[in-house]
Amino acid sequence: MSQTITRRSFLQSGTLLAGASLLPRWMPRLAFSPPGYGPRGDVLISVFLRGAADVLNMVVPHGDDAYYKLRPTLGIPRPDDRRAEPSSRTLDLDGFFGLHPKLSPLVGAWQTGQLAIVHACGAPDESRSHFKAMELMERGVEDERGPASGWIGRHLATLETGNASPFRAVALGEIPQRSLSGAVPVTALRSIADFHLAGDPQALAKMQAALNSLYSGIDAVSGIGQETLRILDALQATDPLSYNSATDPAYPESDFGLGLRQIAILIKAEVGLEVAAIDLGGWDTHFAQGGSVGQMAELMWDLASGLAAFHADLRDLADRLTVVVMSEFGRRAAENGSLGTDHGHGSLMILLGGHVRGGKIHGTWPGLAEGKLVGPGDLAVTTDYRDVLGEVCLRRLGNPALGEIFPGFQVTLHDLVT
Amino acid sequence: MRRSLNRREFIRLAGLIAASTGVAGCASVYDRLAPAPGSWTPWPIAGSSTFSHLNRMTYGPRSEERAAADDAGIEAWIEEQLAPESLDDPGADLRLRRFTTLDLPSDVLADLSDRIFDNVDRFTVPDQLRQATLIRQVYSRRQLLEVMVEFWTDHFNISVEKGDCFFLKTVDDREVIRRHALGNFGELLWASAHSPAMLVYLDNQSNRKGSPNENYARELMELHSLGVSGGYTQADVMELARCLTGWTVKEHFWRGEFTFNSQFHDAGPKRVLGEAIDPLGQIEAERVLDVLSIHPSTAHFIAAKLARRFIAEDPPPGLVDLVAGVFKQTNGDIRSVLRALLMNGLEFVQPKFKRPSHFVVSALRILNARTDGGEAIQRYLKRMGQPYFAWPTPDGYPDRSEAWSGNLLPRWQFAYDLAHGALSHTTVDLPGLVQAAGPGDPASLVDRMSTLLLGQPLPPTTKRALLDSVERAGAIDDEGTPSLLLAAILASPAFQWR
Repeated sequence: MSQTITRRSFLQSGTLLAGASLLPRWMPRLAFSPPGYGPRGDVLISVFLRGAADVLNMVVPHGDDAYYKLRPTLGIPRPDDRRAEPSSRTLDLDGFFGLHPKLSPLVGAWQTGQLAIVHACGAPDESRSHFKAMELMERGVEDERGPASGWIGRHLATLETGNASPFRAVALGEIPQRSLSGAVPVTALRSIADFHLAGDPQALAKMQAALNSLYSGIDAVSGIGQETLRILDALQATDPLSYNSATDPAYPESDFGLGLRQIAILIKAEVGLEVAAIDLGGWDTHFAQGGSVGQMAELMWDLASGLAAFHADLRDLADRLTVVVMSEFGRRAAENGSLGTDHGHGSLMILLGGHVRGGKIHGTWPGLAEGKLVGPGDLAVTTDYRDVLGEVCLRRLGNPALGEIFPGFQVTLHDLVT
Repeated sequence: MRRSLNRREFIRLAGLIAASTGVAGCASVYDRLAPAPGSWTPWPIAGSSTFSHLNRMTYGPRSEERAAADDAGIEAWIEEQLAPESLDDPGADLRLRRFTTLDLPSDVLADLSDRIFDNVDRFTVPDQLRQATLIRQVYSRRQLLEVMVEFWTDHFNISVEKGDCFFLKTVDDREVIRRHALGNFGELLWASAHSPAMLVYLDNQSNRKGSPNENYARELMELHSLGVSGGYTQADVMELARCLTGWTVKEHFWRGEFTFNSQFHDAGPKRVLGEAIDPLGQIEAERVLDVLSIHPSTAHFIAAKLARRFIAEDPPPGLVDLVAGVFKQTNGDIRSVLRALLMNGLEFVQPKFKRPSHFVVSALRILNARTDGGEAIQRYLKRMGQPYFAWPTPDGYPDRSEAWSGNLLPRWQFAYDLAHGALSHTTVDLPGLVQAAGPGDPASLVDRMSTLLLGQPLPPTTKRALLDSVERAGAIDDEGTPSLLLAAILASPAFQWR
């Protein structure tokens, strides 16, 4: 039986979801959205695939013959390859590109025009170093001389929304993403249910009073302390355990799924969330990355099922959300001898949201033929990642200060969003 | 001949390990035999710069360490720490006895980890390593050695979550990191390159001729030696990867040991960093290791990284140059490099936000806590973002203040739990602490405790505001006050910095 997800079955699973994801009982009390917000745009969800995702096996150029020559073992079979199991074939998108079969949960959003892909997208840096590339990309700068803050941090610092919520920017996980660093304090949050102080109520009341006094300074860490205390206050009137019992089967049981679920709760609760950053790691697949199944396929399933669940969970709010998925660079076009791929160059970005010009592969495809590859044999970059982020900032987040967000870079609009 | 244990020996060993982990919670015989962690007499005095300097070279100075450094002078203290073999260490040694897997060879560890045996499972070996690491950080008198072990553990990061690293890291920790932590950098780099855990972690075990795997070759230059701006090219990465083809790990007999497999080695001529490499099998990459270990870029990269860890986020360039110069002169003698860094650098110390390990261990050390280093502590390290030996990427846990300052809540909870006796198998003798601090009102207790924990009393306005806020939130009573004030100081911004 074909594993291709039809539009109808996707919608059905979406309906099922809706029943299971009713707001927790405590949610209305959390909705303390302060009045007097300035005009603001979408909630931005920034997803970073750490380790340099092998984008050629995610959005497969099955119409490019060179792909199968470069990937004799790891290549994802063509949509019409009768020698391959149907479930292992590329899911065709436009006759030339197709999705990896484990990205099938994204087909629904593609079909409804809410998911777009910008292929051969990336940064000019050619160090092929994860750490340098991630740092430059998260800072949104051309080289080390640029500002130390992150591009999202500068976006928040340059957009006056009057939003004083402690949830304005949230980092999912234990260590805040570099992209968020800047003028606005950012608190790491792993799970709303766990975000509280536990102990004797009377002693805790005194402890919190002591913390309020100790963190009253104007330094950066005091700022984060104050934000943490305000989040505690906001969540204190609630009963996180009732949230724990409301399990939503659609989100994957992973840190990524958990994180997306927290973001969805904050969005639905209207607590003033403007930006959430979340990571999905493990993409550095030098060894045994697998093809249609295997190590990387599992990661893709985590990514796609998580995003699809999030999208379904918030389908009524899709017009106010933009999800951006990116990675520091792509991987070598040719597979290596360890059934994996080494560091490459060109990557891709995924956009998901109600105002995305979806159902389309954007960008210019440079091709994989000899002579088209760059460096040691890598996909070229034809769209700068800052064009994509800049257009999102301008058109969806309402921030025209692109010169400050991406200093020294002229953003070109590609009509990726409306 | 196979060195592995026969079945009877194996069962005996497994039983011992099961017994040792089964009671990991209870204070073992060894813990009771071990000397007490320390005393608060004499109570430290405020205002000395020794505290902030010792805070760089230790996991938080105990009172008697402060007194000793004050008496002998910081330079003598540094010299003593640079010769850790001269320091008896029964407090750590005895407490480490119950971690029976630390000294086992890799093939025995492999056998052990493959079989589910009472309390022994896949987690036993890495769990023991994590506990032992914490025990050493808390109890060892060889504090500078332990600080350097953490530095090199980050520098040559290996995650136990990757493949056989879950047991091979124990061997790497023993044979690579600890053995060479204060030795020669070239020998350390050499040992790491021959370490099965590293070869597995960075995929070199599958690096074969024809289509090499570049992962280890790249990080060897980018992260372990030259640095990303150290002057190598993508072509160098690819050529070094070819030199490293065939460097792998035994899979069956003597599982987990290093081996060079000439069948998988690319015997063609190569060129790395502008030098021709003759076809010499295993020796090719070893020649490159020799070049990398004393390369000027390496000297500078290591000097800058050490200065960032010990001195300041942005250390003075002159200091880095000076330390790099010593690295070059001594061909990477780590003691000489550290001596130069500390003797010349301490005056430039800038505040650094404590990493979770330093935050947790400094609280335990300064408060003379008793701990088994077990689950309760390890869980907190994870919540704070630094579970030992689990950073996934090869760059090691971050050393920027900003990476850690956004996650305060678990630190506050830890402060509360430690001060209120809510951590299992980790205790502070609070009555003893209060008694040693001497009689007085809450204000003087805050002064005494902040001098102990922060090196100096809280500023009067901060202290007043703290006491007022606590009083407003409920009456101050004799019973709960010391715990609460202790928790507040541990959770305060000042205790987050070292």
